[in-house]
Amino acid sequence: MDQPLSLKLASLSLISQCKLQNILALCGDKKDLIIDPTLIKPLERICGVTWLRQNGIDKIYKMEPQLGTTANTNRVYFIPACVQKYKCVLDQISSLLSQNSSLADLGCFHIIIVPKVLCSYDSILESKGLYGIVKLHSFSWELMALDEQLLSLELPFLFKQLFVEQNHSLLSSVAMSLWSLFHVTGKPKVVFSLGKLSASVLDMLEVYNETYARDFLSSDSSHEIGAVILIDRNQDYPSSLLTPATYSGLLSEIFNINCGHLDLNVKHTKYKKGKLDLGIQEEQATDKNTVMTLDSSIDSLYGEIKHRHFSEVLSVLSSKAKLLKNEDIKALGIQEMKHYVATKLQQVALFKQNLVNHVLACETIISEMSNKFENLKLTETDMLNNRNKKSNFTFVDENFGTDIHIYNSLRLMCLLSLTQGLSYEEYNTLVSKYLLAFGYKFLYVFNNLVNAGLLIQPTSIKLSLNISNLGNLSDRLPRWQSAFQAAANKLKQLPSQPDKVGKSSPSYVFNGGYVPLIAVLCNTILSADSLSEVVSKLSALSDLKVGGTIAGRLKDGMETLNEKLSNMKLNTDLEFGCKDAKSMSKVLKADPNFGNAFPLKPKSVLVYVIGGVNYAEIAACDVVQTTTGSKIYIASDCVVSGADLMLAAS
Amino acid sequence: MDDDDYWNTSETKAHAFSFDDDVLTPQEILAIGQKPSGQKEDSVFSSSAISTSRALLPLNSLVSPKVLDLILLAQSGKDPTKDTKTDTEQTVAVTLKRLVLGRNCSLHIHRSLKSKTELLDGAIAIGDGNAILTVVLFLIQTLNKKLVYELLSSRHTALNHYISFLHNEGKVTELTDLLTMLGRSQEAAIYQFHHYVKTQGNNIDSLLRKLANLLANHLNQPGADTHQGKMVADYVKLLEWQKFANKSELFNKSALHCLAYCCAQHWSETAGNMMSPMTVCQRQQIPPLQYDWVVLNVHAKSNKWDIVETLFTKKDWLGRTTVSSHIPIETLLARLCELQASKQLLATCVNKIASAEDRLRLAQMYKIHPVVIETLAKQKDRIALTNYKMTLNPQSEVYILAENTLRDNSIKWKN
Repeated sequence: MDQPLSLKLASLSLISQCKLQNILALCGDKKDLIIDPTLIKPLERICGVTWLRQNGIDKIYKMEPQLGTTANTNRVYFIPACVQKYKCVLDQISSLLSQNSSLADLGCFHIIIVPKVLCSYDSILESKGLYGIVKLHSFSWELMALDEQLLSLELPFLFKQLFVEQNHSLLSSVAMSLWSLFHVTGKPKVVFSLGKLSASVLDMLEVYNETYARDFLSSDSSHEIGAVILIDRNQDYPSSLLTPATYSGLLSEIFNINCGHLDLNVKHTKYKKGKLDLGIQEEQATDKNTVMTLDSSIDSLYGEIKHRHFSEVLSVLSSKAKLLKNEDIKALGIQEMKHYVATKLQQVALFKQNLVNHVLACETIISEMSNKFENLKLTETDMLNNRNKKSNFTFVDENFGTDIHIYNSLRLMCLLSLTQGLSYEEYNTLVSKYLLAFGYKFLYVFNNLVNAGLLIQPTSIKLSLNISNLGNLSDRLPRWQSAFQAAANKLKQLPSQPDKVGKSSPSYVFNGGYVPLIAVLCNTILSADSLSEVVSKLSALSDLKVGGTIAGRLKDGMETLNEKLSNMKLNTDLEFGCKDAKSMSKVLKADPNFGNAFPLKPKSVLVYVIGGVNYAEIAACDVVQTTTGSKIYIASDCVVSGADLMLAAS
Repeated sequence: MDDDDYWNTSETKAHAFSFDDDVLTPQEILAIGQKPSGQKEDSVFSSSAISTSRALLPLNSLVSPKVLDLILLAQSGKDPTKDTKTDTEQTVAVTLKRLVLGRNCSLHIHRSLKSKTELLDGAIAIGDGNAILTVVLFLIQTLNKKLVYELLSSRHTALNHYISFLHNEGKVTELTDLLTMLGRSQEAAIYQFHHYVKTQGNNIDSLLRKLANLLANHLNQPGADTHQGKMVADYVKLLEWQKFANKSELFNKSALHCLAYCCAQHWSETAGNMMSPMTVCQRQQIPPLQYDWVVLNVHAKSNKWDIVETLFTKKDWLGRTTVSSHIPIETLLARLCELQASKQLLATCVNKIASAEDRLRLAQMYKIHPVVIETLAKQKDRIALTNYKMTLNPQSEVYILAENTLRDNSIKWKN
């Protein structure tokens, strides 16, 4: 058990493999795998083709509605938990059955659903008359180690479901991933949750713990993770909406990144694709691009530059190239040459390849962003600090009227709305321009953004101004500080002089404008001497809860789910796996360091963002890790950029 | 090209990204490295699986075999084989726990309204959406609608799950009934709208009919958001225009897309004609800024610079040519540059900028040399002009212009 944690985390894929093996064993001997294209990359992180062969997979097909006959009668479909895709598979099976009804009795249809089979899927199966003919399997793969200290569940559809549709059907998968993880790392002594979904995850986790407790899970607290922080994405939207200034952050703005693999498409970038289509754009080339793996353990050069402010990256690359140049192999003797070829050549070739890729990526970033970057950053910082509201709106309005982008323009609108607010007229001006540019059919997008809490819809003064709420008129008058600024100032998220911020401030990831909330949380928790200090420093956060083994001691006796439910009132939180931080004040007054969890030991934290983490946040945590001399592990259901959040609402 | 030259040319020297000067050019780095070979793999799986390239710990040092069994059991949602004693007591808590664990369970033993309500509240409290939706669907099956709606109206989370379910299943009528009953007619309208554009996207007539109904039944009702209603009404107008135009490539495309088409194909059409760009502009109330932007891009991309110039420049009362557009000057300049407009047009554009400082900055950024030279001469800044001359290509026209300006005796240089 004394293996380094990073190696253990990378090895989680073996548990996933074992889980998959277990399912495949139930699907007959020789079978075809029909896989949804979005699952290919994640599956590659779990197993290879050879392994699949060994487990009875004969042929592999991409799932498409028109898929004809395949090599074997046994079919194993492999799809994400998405009703449309699920129904598409069922339709395909029905049509196969209509051609050959004898297949019904063979038990030859299996659907593996990632991360789990939902109850409603069973009823759909039944209603289509396929119950008993098709077998459904849940495959909850473990967190994947995409990079050092970066774990992801790779479920990119989760944000849309959880926050836009407010459908929490797959939330238990997050709980399940933590439950498995804690079997490997040990249970953390203290867990903080911020947001409703995070609290629910802790409640569900406690249900798993209670059910499967027995004598398996050691009750010792973890020797490797001092604290776990769970946070809902909607607790810090600005971090997603702001334009990142780090290399990896800008990479995710420009290129498609899937499961840690970057598609180095320098001609048709993600950025270009979102621009206004006037029907005069050039045809798209379909040639395959180079793929870069964003993993420091494979590409050490990436490890060196990923968190850097973009302005430094090219000079680092240049110095690396100079080193290479100086390594003159012509001067080597025959023996030395042999040695070089045997030991270093391959490594050097790989390094050169990586170097070239990073330079190409940098050039693309410069050519696409450079002349907009500065004004954009200035405007964003003004929005954060509630300055120059009028000119900020003009900036956004001009952007909507000219070089509008299908996602990034919306993102600016959302940021302005959350930080400084939009009037009814301003809001509608932007909506009109957007719909003229991309089509009226996108009218629903704004409702989705509002539902997700990314946008605040102002009400018409005409509609809302009646006698009864004249008292609220003061709410509409301009204020020097919005709710956002009030909270952000309390948590010291807004540096007073953005242009003077050094590299030791996590805010450098947004050009000195903003410290991501997760960096604030990590910093507070890693440097606190007592639980009471944490709770008081984070008192501006209304949704903070405390769980983990120390919360267990707060339970009145050994309260089971049964008892808890019977004592519960309508619309209150269950607090089965965690406790409201504010309600602990009495306990903390008597014993400020209740549970003896602080100062943290070991000095390491796992942050789990529900709804997607981004590269800027990861870089900001890296700074905190250095300044506090600790380890911060980041986990999420996906690594996403701000544009991805907008896409989820579309 | 020399290293320094490369970085100091305004094309590559990005404004916001300041670099050390002692760096190699990307081209040089590329030369030291090698051109990417580009993996050309066409199989479903790429051959280089990540898992094989890394040394991993053996499974048994991660978790004990017993724990592994437990993890597998939890994924399958099966009951542990050992204790076959099924819970005899089917309490609400037992049912909910089975739901959360993904084990199969029958809800039908919960027949009283009280236990149904407890089931719903318990599922909401735990927060597992799968359990919440299962219970809601069970309530729909076993209680009359009015009772279910009553229960849902005070339970937001459960309601959202049901809305999401109906929406994803395409059950618009039920969704509309539900939301209308709860007094949320506006939202119902948007869900309907979303459903129509998703399902009727390719049938213009049917889409028009549905939208007309939507306007009549929801969006034109008192209390409705007037702007939303206007947007849908504008949509109808555009679809009607597209029906008239009868071009499949314009089908359900955006207003600006249609405008671009008209600019390209029917530019000289007189106002009043259905296909004239002005008609589309007026019908859809396209703001002047967006109109200018489309016109600029369409004509520039098809190299009709004469049209661009007649539209965006005019002679002032002194007979000088000046730029006139709704597009803010800096944005216009940046775009003209990307579109590779003539130096002449760029110069006219940058000359429009009143502040000498801004004019100089932009002229340098976009390499509009005559304007830089003229501005520096006006500022009487000989040193700056001398330095600037050095960056120009000797023997070029602008180089000579700079030299002549420096020799001009009528300028009283300040330095």
